[in-house]
Amino acid sequence: MNWSSFKYLTRQGLHNLAANRLMTLAGVGVLTACLVITGVATLFTMNVDSLVAYLGSQNETIVYLDPAWDGTDEEIAQLNSDILAIPGVAGATYYSKRDVLEEYRGYMEEYADLWDEFEPDEENPFKANFSVVIRDLENLDGICAQLRALPHVVKVNAAEEMTYIFVSVQSVITIAGYVLVAVLAVVSIVVISNTIRLSVYARRREINIMKYVGATNGFIRWPFFVEGVGVGLLSAVLAGAIVLAAYAGLVQASGQLTGFWGTLLGASVLPVSRVWYIILPAFLLGGAVVGGLGSVTSIRKHLNV
Amino acid sequence: MIRFEHVSKVYPGDHLALEDVNIHIRKGEFAFVLGHSGAGKSTFLKMILREEKPTEGAVFVNGQDVARIRERDIPYLRRQMGVVFQDFRLIPSMTAYENVAFAMRVTNIPEKKICQRVPYVLDLVGLGDKADSLPEAMSGGEQQRVALARALVHSPQLIIADEPTGNIDPELSFEMMELLSAINSVGITVVVVTHEHELVHRFHQRVITIDHGHVISDVPGAQLHEEPTV
Repeated sequence: MNWSSFKYLTRQGLHNLAANRLMTLAGVGVLTACLVITGVATLFTMNVDSLVAYLGSQNETIVYLDPAWDGTDEEIAQLNSDILAIPGVAGATYYSKRDVLEEYRGYMEEYADLWDEFEPDEENPFKANFSVVIRDLENLDGICAQLRALPHVVKVNAAEEMTYIFVSVQSVITIAGYVLVAVLAVVSIVVISNTIRLSVYARRREINIMKYVGATNGFIRWPFFVEGVGVGLLSAVLAGAIVLAAYAGLVQASGQLTGFWGTLLGASVLPVSRVWYIILPAFLLGGAVVGGLGSVTSIRKHLNV
Repeated sequence: MIRFEHVSKVYPGDHLALEDVNIHIRKGEFAFVLGHSGAGKSTFLKMILREEKPTEGAVFVNGQDVARIRERDIPYLRRQMGVVFQDFRLIPSMTAYENVAFAMRVTNIPEKKICQRVPYVLDLVGLGDKADSLPEAMSGGEQQRVALARALVHSPQLIIADEPTGNIDPELSFEMMELLSAINSVGITVVVVTHEHELVHRFHQRVITIDHGHVISDVPGAQLHEEPTV
C-alpha cells in the first residue's frame, strides 16, 4: 500500500464512522458499557488492595531485647542493621527502656509519681525493643523466626493471625479482581465483535464488489480496521470520562466521612491522580485493540470470494 | 486470452455444472456465451474470476493456470480484467466518480492519474455530467454504464460482461452492446455472458452455447470491427 492509498483508505475509514452513524453508535454504546464495567471492577480491586495494604502496614512487629543486656550504641546500631538486612523488613526503630517509660509517662500523666518509682534505669521494668515494619507480610512467619534468631532478642510480638487475615483477603480480592477484569474483557471482545459483525454484514455486498475489482484483503480491511479503532477510541474516551468523573465524586464523598470510616478511607482510598494514568491509557489501548481486532476478525468470512 | 481445457465442475451434492468443456477465446476476440438459466454460464464466469476452481481440467487466463494462483494473488488476476455485472454492483455510498476511481485505487495508482483518467472514461460512456451522482439517483442504464466505466478505467485486456442487458430496457441494451463492440474494436477481448438469443443474433459475433454444462455449439463471428473509439 503506498502513501496515497494509505491516506485515502484512512480517510475512508473515518468517513465510514460518520456515514454508518447507527452502527457506530451501537458499537460505541456497547464498548463503552463494557469498558465502564471493567473500569469499575479495576478501581474496586485497586482500592481494596490499597485498603488492605494500609491495614497491613499498621501492624507493627515488636522485637523485645534481653533486659539484662546493656548494649552500647555501636552494638544497638549493629543489631538495627542486622534487622534491616532481613529480606521483607521495611524499617526498624529502636526504643530504649527509657523511651518506653517516657512513652507511658506521656499516656498517663496523672500517675507521674508511680512512673518516678522506676527511675533510675535499673528499676525500669520495661524492655528495650525494636519496632519493625514488615513489608512482605506473606512471609511474616519466616521473618519472625529470623528476628528471634538474632542475638539478645528474647521475644517477638507479631499480630500473625490478623496479618494472615489481611493477606488472605488481599489475595482473594486481587485474584477475584483479575478474574473479573479478564472475564469482562472476553465478554467485551465477544459483544463488540458481534456488533461490528452486524456492521460488516450490512456491508458484505460492498466488500464483495471490492474483491471483484481486484482489491487485496489488506486494502479492504484497512478502512474497517480504522473504523473499529475509531469506535474503540471514542468508547475509551467516553468510558474514561464517565468512570473518572464518578470516581472523583466518590473520592470527594469519602473525604467528607468522619470517625472510623473517615480515618480508614481517608488513608486508603486512592486519589484520582493515582488512577487516571492507569485507567485512561488502559481504556484507550483496550478500546483500540478490541475495536480493531473485532472488525478485522469479523470481516474475514466475507473476504473469501 | 481464455482457455478451458477439459474443464469439469461438480459442486457438493454431485451437482454437475460443467462437463469436459473446451473453449479457446483469443486475444482481441468478441464472444457471446449463450445459455439459459442453469446452463453453467455462471460457473464458467466464476472459473475465469477464480471464484471457483475446476474439479477436473484447467482454466487459463492470459496464460496463467488460475487454479494454481495463490489466494493472495487472486486480486492481481482480477485486475487484468474488467467485469460488468447484471446487477451493476456499484458501491451505493460512492458517487459515480468514486465507484470508477475505486478500481484504480485498488491498484495503488497515484491520485493525479486517477483525476485525469476517471473523467475521461466517464465521458467515454456518456456520463461526464453524472460524476457526482450516487447510484440511487441514476437510471438502470446509467448505472450499467458506470459499471462499464469502472471495468474499463484501468485499461484491462479483457472485459467480461455478465448479462449486461438483463436490467435495462431493449433500446439501452442495444446501446450497451454497441459500447462493448467499440471497446472490442481497439483490441480488448470482450466476453458477454447472456441468455438473450435475440440480442446475440443482432451482433454477428462468435457465439458459444452452453447447455446442461456442455458446449453444444461454437459458431464463429462474421462481422468485421469498425473504427476504434476507445
